[in-house]
Amino acid sequence: MSAEQKASTLVQGTLHMLILKTLALEPMHGYGVGVRLEQISKGVFKVNAGSLFPALRRLERDGFIAGEWHVTENNRRAKYYALTAQGRATLKRETKDWEQQSAAIARIMSASLGEL
Amino acid sequence: MPALHRFAAGFIALFHRRRAEQELDAELREFLDSAIEDKMRAGMSRESATRAARMELGSATAVKDRVRDVGWENIVETTWLDVRYAARTLRRSPGFTVVAVLSLALGIGANSAIFSLINTLMLRSLPVSHPEQLVELLSRYPGEPRMSSFSWRHYEHFRDHNQSFSDLLAVSRARFQVAAEGSEPEAIDGEYVAGNFFSALGVQPALGRVIDGQDDQLGSATAASAVVSWSYWTNRLHADPAIIGKAIIVNGAPATVVGVAPQEFFGLQVGIRPSVWLPAAMEPMLQKPSRQLDGTLGVGMLARLRPGITIERALAELRVLDRYRIEDFAKSRSAAFARDFSIELEPAAAGFAALRDRFATSLVVLMGMVALLLLIACTNIASMLLARGAARQHEMAIRVSLGAGRVRLVRHVLAESLLLSAVGGLIGVALASVGAETLVRIMLSGREFLRLQQRIVIDVQPDLQVLLFTAAVVVGTALLFGAAPAWHALTSAPASSLRVHGAAGETRSRRLFGKTLVVLQVAFSVVLLSAASLFVHHLSNLRNQDFGFQRTSLLLVTLDPSKSGYAREQLFSPYQDLLGRLEGIPGVRSVTLSGVTPISGAGASRFIRVEGFDEAAEARRYVPLNWVGPRYFETFGTPLLAGREFTFADRGGPPVAIVNRAMARYYFGDKNPIGGRFQFVGPSNSGITGAPPDQMYEIVGVVGDAKYLDLREIPPRTIYLNAYQEPRMPANRFALRTTDRPGAVASEVHRIVREGLKTVAVSDVTTMDDLVDASVVPERVIAMLSSFFGGLGASLAALGLYGLLAYTVTRRTNEIGIRMALGAAKSDISRMVLRSALGLVCAGFVIGVPLALLSRRAASRVVSDLRVDSMWPFVLATATMLAIALVAAYVPARRAARVEPVEALRL
Repeated sequence: MSAEQKASTLVQGTLHMLILKTLALEPMHGYGVGVRLEQISKGVFKVNAGSLFPALRRLERDGFIAGEWHVTENNRRAKYYALTAQGRATLKRETKDWEQQSAAIARIMSASLGEL
Repeated sequence: MPALHRFAAGFIALFHRRRAEQELDAELREFLDSAIEDKMRAGMSRESATRAARMELGSATAVKDRVRDVGWENIVETTWLDVRYAARTLRRSPGFTVVAVLSLALGIGANSAIFSLINTLMLRSLPVSHPEQLVELLSRYPGEPRMSSFSWRHYEHFRDHNQSFSDLLAVSRARFQVAAEGSEPEAIDGEYVAGNFFSALGVQPALGRVIDGQDDQLGSATAASAVVSWSYWTNRLHADPAIIGKAIIVNGAPATVVGVAPQEFFGLQVGIRPSVWLPAAMEPMLQKPSRQLDGTLGVGMLARLRPGITIERALAELRVLDRYRIEDFAKSRSAAFARDFSIELEPAAAGFAALRDRFATSLVVLMGMVALLLLIACTNIASMLLARGAARQHEMAIRVSLGAGRVRLVRHVLAESLLLSAVGGLIGVALASVGAETLVRIMLSGREFLRLQQRIVIDVQPDLQVLLFTAAVVVGTALLFGAAPAWHALTSAPASSLRVHGAAGETRSRRLFGKTLVVLQVAFSVVLLSAASLFVHHLSNLRNQDFGFQRTSLLLVTLDPSKSGYAREQLFSPYQDLLGRLEGIPGVRSVTLSGVTPISGAGASRFIRVEGFDEAAEARRYVPLNWVGPRYFETFGTPLLAGREFTFADRGGPPVAIVNRAMARYYFGDKNPIGGRFQFVGPSNSGITGAPPDQMYEIVGVVGDAKYLDLREIPPRTIYLNAYQEPRMPANRFALRTTDRPGAVASEVHRIVREGLKTVAVSDVTTMDDLVDASVVPERVIAMLSSFFGGLGASLAALGLYGLLAYTVTRRTNEIGIRMALGAAKSDISRMVLRSALGLVCAGFVIGVPLALLSRRAASRVVSDLRVDSMWPFVLATATMLAIALVAAYVPARRAARVEPVEALRL
């Protein structure tokens, strides 16, 4: 299974959360979000445009992020997305859920017979 | 509130589509540019960076599609696009579109029309509270339609003794002469109602109050109260609210208007709209002699079941209570006769059952046929769409290659089907409302309605139910005929069809499917056609059976001497003169008069005792009677088997009678009935004859059996009396046997009556043929419509067959060319095409004939005395279908034979 395929399977549930987290660090345009995700995950998650843009549109529609047009450092116009208050709350909630879940999963995966 | 946000954002996007698109474009462009810059920074040349970035992005169109799919507004947009695209495609093939839309319009229209009748007559609930709790009481006598006719006396007994109903109400139809203040009296339909009528139904007045139990007390101070209908109030009383408390004049007596019924309330019988309701207690003030006082006022009854009481339980109780009515009959008539009565209960959410009973059968049969017709239309369009689908395979394949999703293709195909169906449906609704109106007019031309005093209005304007039904049919139809092409779009393999042009995608299974559709069309058409020939046959049997008299060239003229100033005792010699003068009209062979016109549905009957014939009381039956003048049997063409006709000279002589053969057989067997004597016993239920009781009649003639009440009956034992021996003239119906068209002498008849009997009105002029037609209206409607639908279905099937063959010939042009080049004659080629047509048609017969047999058995269960033994309808149907199919196959066969081998091979 290639990294990209792995990404697309992961994307379903978590891409939204990852995007929210990325945008919580600083407002960013579409390409930047993709690059940042790849960077932080050290190349494990490679999000293509076909997944990224629909996700951004959905988050925007849900009112979790808001886009604004700004001039980039390269003097081009780009749509910068930023978290809304609602998005911030959602991220907080999802982060908590995720931590609980992943801790639980980690415990299960590392369990040995002796512990039972 | 993400959901709300989503909705609002989508809504905004819907109206700022262009800006949203531009933004998305800009975003993607920026994405691409950033990617290119990144790659160049990593050391790639601009060219290779651009290529790599584009590869990573993939199809920008696909990305945009996915982004657009996020918002719900996209569904609206793409649907609109689908519809527009479908409209464009359909415009490009006008021939197909017109045929499809027309056949759908007829199919859907026919369904909608029949349904709107069923809805109005059978389904629509009364605008009263909890109509589902209402039941109707019906009286049945063997061999007769069940009737909603009881006496007030019986109503009171049921009302006071039942435990099953929370309310039992009675209503009696009447015609009143009503005058509002300052206007002329006019005849309107009204009803006497029991005091609980409105409260039991839960009908609240629009104005004032309703009639209550207090009003409906004999001698009550408020018995002369009236509730008027909304339409009477608006049309005749100028919607004047001050009318409450004022009087209108009903049959000359004042009645206080106490209230106005709500606008939607039209009474309890679909088709009849009473304008005024009076308490039954008012009847004695308006009718002399009163029937209310002696308990014989004729009423219909509706009851509201108590909660938890089933119809079965209520009926069980009613059967016990009904003994009262039967004993009552036994007292006044005969025990044997009374015993045959029974009572029934029927759900009455839609009101009284009279019209429902009359037409339910026809409507159900017709509904079945129009459903079948629509099925044929669907199959037909499906096969046309499939053929088009094959031709458009290439286009579809290109669209798939360019990134169109399969779902999108299916949606597109379905949009096309829905569009066709919707346009067909719209035209269909227009056709339906015209069709339903026409149908109602024909149905109401029936004999029983001609005789009714009430004005029958059946409103078949499409209401919400009909529109919903039609919409459901439209969608169902579209899915039905769109399913196969959609399935095909879903499963088509783009690559292979792009590679091979021409015969692309023409798989074996698809060809088989196309053939199956045509076979099904033929099969369904055979069912429709055999139903049509069955019903036509049934109708012609009814019409052309032996009536016992000659029905053609018989003019029937009814006189009304009631306001002429002549007493009925004085009419004998004026009528004799009139008979003589009418005989003098050129083209008239003979003239007579009678009290009863055969098969007019009305008659009189008595019990008799024949001298020397001991008859058990149980065996005694009413014997129909007619009072006829001289030359009656000659004029009607009923054979005189023995003895003589009546003469004017019998007047003043000993009473004589003529009996029919059935009567003679029953009472006299092989003996000579001439000279036999009988007398009437029991009370008269006719009220016509004024002869003294115990009068002995001597039989002077025997005539052939003739239909009496109805043309569906077996001629009953019948007695004819000489009208000229009665103390008062019992006969006002003149019959003229003419040499040619009876209508031609009608104006002359009018003139002579006016001249000879100035004050006597001619109340009705018709012919026996018209009377026969009016007696078979349901049968005529079914025969007419089934022929129409059968013809339509067969034509559609022929069209389907033609389409398939024409397509096959085109596809096989090459092969045909080779065959011809190898020496096949033109006739071989056309025979080949005809043979394949014949194969399809025969396969259709194999399915259709058993189906037709089954549906005939079903039809015979609902249509009484439908003959089910003959194979002729099927022979006729298959022959018709075969002929139509061969005509349809002829054109492609000829075209195949005309193929030029050289041309064909060059293709």
